[in-house]
Amino acid sequence: MKKVHTTCVYCGCGCGLFLHVEGGRIVGASPSPGHPMSRGSLCIKGWLAGDFAGHPDRLSQPLVRQGERMVPAAWDAALDLTAERLLLIREQFGPQALGVLTSAKGTNEENYLLMKLARAALCTNNVDHVARLCHAPTVAGLGYALGSGAMTGSISSLGQSDAILVVGSNTTEQHPLVATYILRARAKGAGLIVVDPRKTPLAETADLWLAARPGSDVVWINCLLNLIAGQGLIDWQFLEAHTEGYEETLQAARTISAEKVEEICGITAADLAQAASIFGEAERGAIVYAMGVTQHAQGTDIVQALANLALATGNMGREGTGIYPLRGHQNVQGACDMGALPTVFSGYQPVSSSPARSKFEGAWGTVLPEQPGLTALEMLWAAEEGSLKGLIIVGENPALSYPDSSRVVKALKRLQFLAVCDIFPTETAALADVLLPAACFAEKEGTFTSTERRVQRVRKAVEPPGEARAEWQWIADLAGRLGMRWGYSSPADVMAEIASLTPSYGGIGYQRLESLGPAGLQWPCPSGEHQGTPILHVQGFAQGRARLRPVYYLPPPESSDAEYPMTLNTGRSLYHFHTATMTRRTALLDREIPLPFVQVNPEDAKQMGIREGMRVRVETRRGSVVAEARLSPGLARGQLFLPIHFSEAPANALTAQHLDPLSKIAEMKISAARLTKVIS
Amino acid sequence: MIKAFLLKANLPALLEAVSRQMEVIAPLAMPGGPVYATWQGEALDLEGRSLSPPTEFLLPHKEVLFHYVQESGRYSFKEEEAPPRLLFFIRPCDLHAIAVLDRVFGRPPSDQAYFRRRRATALVVANCTVPGEECFCASLGSGPEVKDACDLQITDLGDGYLCEAETAAGVLILNAGSGLLGPVLPSHLQEKRRLIEQAGQAMPKMTADRIRESMKKADWEALGRQCLSCGGCTFVCPVCHCFSTLDLGIPDGERQRCRDTCILSGFSRLTGGANPRRTPAQRLQHWYQDKFEDIPQVTGLLGCVGCGRCHLTCPSAMDRTELKVALRLNQDHQNHQNQKHENQNNKNQNLWLSSPAADLPGGREART
Repeated sequence: MKKVHTTCVYCGCGCGLFLHVEGGRIVGASPSPGHPMSRGSLCIKGWLAGDFAGHPDRLSQPLVRQGERMVPAAWDAALDLTAERLLLIREQFGPQALGVLTSAKGTNEENYLLMKLARAALCTNNVDHVARLCHAPTVAGLGYALGSGAMTGSISSLGQSDAILVVGSNTTEQHPLVATYILRARAKGAGLIVVDPRKTPLAETADLWLAARPGSDVVWINCLLNLIAGQGLIDWQFLEAHTEGYEETLQAARTISAEKVEEICGITAADLAQAASIFGEAERGAIVYAMGVTQHAQGTDIVQALANLALATGNMGREGTGIYPLRGHQNVQGACDMGALPTVFSGYQPVSSSPARSKFEGAWGTVLPEQPGLTALEMLWAAEEGSLKGLIIVGENPALSYPDSSRVVKALKRLQFLAVCDIFPTETAALADVLLPAACFAEKEGTFTSTERRVQRVRKAVEPPGEARAEWQWIADLAGRLGMRWGYSSPADVMAEIASLTPSYGGIGYQRLESLGPAGLQWPCPSGEHQGTPILHVQGFAQGRARLRPVYYLPPPESSDAEYPMTLNTGRSLYHFHTATMTRRTALLDREIPLPFVQVNPEDAKQMGIREGMRVRVETRRGSVVAEARLSPGLARGQLFLPIHFSEAPANALTAQHLDPLSKIAEMKISAARLTKVIS
Repeated sequence: MIKAFLLKANLPALLEAVSRQMEVIAPLAMPGGPVYATWQGEALDLEGRSLSPPTEFLLPHKEVLFHYVQESGRYSFKEEEAPPRLLFFIRPCDLHAIAVLDRVFGRPPSDQAYFRRRRATALVVANCTVPGEECFCASLGSGPEVKDACDLQITDLGDGYLCEAETAAGVLILNAGSGLLGPVLPSHLQEKRRLIEQAGQAMPKMTADRIRESMKKADWEALGRQCLSCGGCTFVCPVCHCFSTLDLGIPDGERQRCRDTCILSGFSRLTGGANPRRTPAQRLQHWYQDKFEDIPQVTGLLGCVGCGRCHLTCPSAMDRTELKVALRLNQDHQNHQNQKHENQNNKNQNLWLSSPAADLPGGREART
């Protein structure tokens, strides 16, 4: 038996683990005791990370559409066809008619090559990926406020905090190893405030649980800022030395009264005052957040509000302080870093900037498009109205994970050409003209970048099934058919190119990563001598001054009314990962939650005659799903919660495509809904 | 017992000789500690303790029990073979765990797949001379010295290993290194005794009774709230052995046996949805009960060998042996927080009185 050290494929924690291999098959997994963050622990998904790789459903051959059927084809034929169709569309309709959605589950090298393919070979900046559904507001919001959209500390830094404010993150379920450090800080005496409309397991251990109504965060955060100011706990020295915009921001915060907070958020003045003293008095305060903050039509503003709070209390640039956006996928941070975004190249260098564009044009030997491209949902709108004709989707399942699924499917069906690459058949793959089989994380070499900016190796433990290939290989082959001459012999070559063009990755290379073992390197790591950066903004802000900005509450785009009197929230579970293609094929995880459920407040249920386990229908203006009722006292009256994992009850059949104008993320946490019993 | 002395410098040659005849599993040196895997000449870590127990070579996370092929409506089965292998340099605690597993799987009808692997595996056990911080084998009677049957016993005496073959297989293993071995002196045996006694003294007196006391006094609800349901304790425990089977493939396929864990709710959940161990607190308590009450009843041996691995892998802030939750849930702290808040409020001329913090256990949301 051999044990291959690699990085977990599931969430952004980026735990180290060993895959156990015997007879060319994965037979188990175990934690990496030498990993600086996970230190010998794994969550249940990590322990079972190798399980899905050998499942018989794995795509193992390229498939090409012939009418209603998908027929096996050779790689050459499939790639020839793909190139032909893409070139035809570009010729007839121009490069803006093409788009690429890359994979937050793919490696950094694959993301880089795919965005290079889009820009250099297809001449379009229509490149995006699922960060659009999760932390686009972080990239926009913290990018503006701090100059960098990533977690400011290391995950382990949370273990040194005196007070932790967790907003819209069900941490023990979505980022268990982050919760580990929060619990350790708690054990040492840190104060813990959890703000969430639901009483999550973390809220059960908190000093204070504030059941803020979904989307009302700008209100209570502004009031909290004001209360902290009132308690004399603002760090004026820090504000004056390192920031700008604080005067108008604090002024705007003053306009929020305790009555308003109670009315809009449902949080009492006393509770908020207590939160203010816990957080304000802390020497080292940290703010942790996730989808409950970002997946709103006002997501970027809410992120800014949290940044305002961190800056106003001087909680930046020191161990135990800072702001911690928890990235969902194991490589969504990397996908963003690699420029799989419509507005930037790798390292967040803007496509609209002449110097940046010249640099990449020089390196890639081609002219590059200047106009920023469309974001993911905008691409689907363009497909809907007919201006986007061709799309490549890699390692993503928009038919299930994007809001308003019936609209998504309609848009995808309107395309003239859709190429999909994945490891399992999905609802999106079912719509493809060409379906390419991919190697999963256990079957290729590459790097992932975790939510704490840690670039780590992912290593090949077994061969991919059948003719499945690592994406970096077929992307290069496809590029060859589009006129490019790339000549990479390995992912290490690709990383060498990335490092040469991406200042924050400048010191990252495979030899160096091998010598560093499980620790990898945290960017920014601009050169070979640089040791990596555990904590950002220690010496101040690269952009000069951090920026506070006043933020004002906007009511959500859809409120409950007589027809749809309840509010539907969506989210995840510990046991399944996103559209569950991997976890529903892992026996122990599937067994935990085999069927879709909807959480209902017990009093609401009683009033409607709904008992635990009854099949109920949840409807919104977009559609309806049927699931089993779960009575949850931790959920407020009038609210419902649906997990996003189940294709037979897709939460996104119910959500809408109301976008945040700044980051183009959709409002996925608030939909007006109604609940009825299913009479059978 | 046939005894011999092996200079440390000669160990790789001995292993190399054995590995020409069969697979050798040994603790490979890796960052963070030794990892048991097939040895192909790599550097070994013979000082540290492995997180993953070597019992995984008798009870893998996933193994194929047999393949099935359907032809003309009839099935034929082909069992997996267990080729001979050497499990090199395991610890007495892990050997003792194997003794417990032998009793668990040996109760009639005995588990064929387990004994296929068990019979095919030669065990070379190293007496512990330097216990880890997390170890407490001595108080539980499972170490630091070999207490159960094995093929070859090894003790690190500094410049070399005292090797004591207990079975014919042990003798043959030693013979593979003929020319590499030297005679054993009385001083070697004395040094062995001294080192083992020293190791025994260095460990905390964490007896089974003390743990049972902690189990009685533990605040299981609080512990359950800390538990992240990772199952890690059950996967790193060398005694844990629960499994599920799964047939994968129609019409031809394989029957897999996979490690399961009582920490997950699905383990005890019944088809209709009812669950005798509905909460993490109940499942955690059950795990301890199994180790200190149920397994002793069934096998006559404790279900815990004092290796401390559960403590090492647990991602919560729980102390696994003292069963203390390192969480401030006591009233003193709550009062302190409230007082602070009250003082602040008085300062601010606020008429609101401080309210108690987070709801304590009572109306908890049902967790799967």
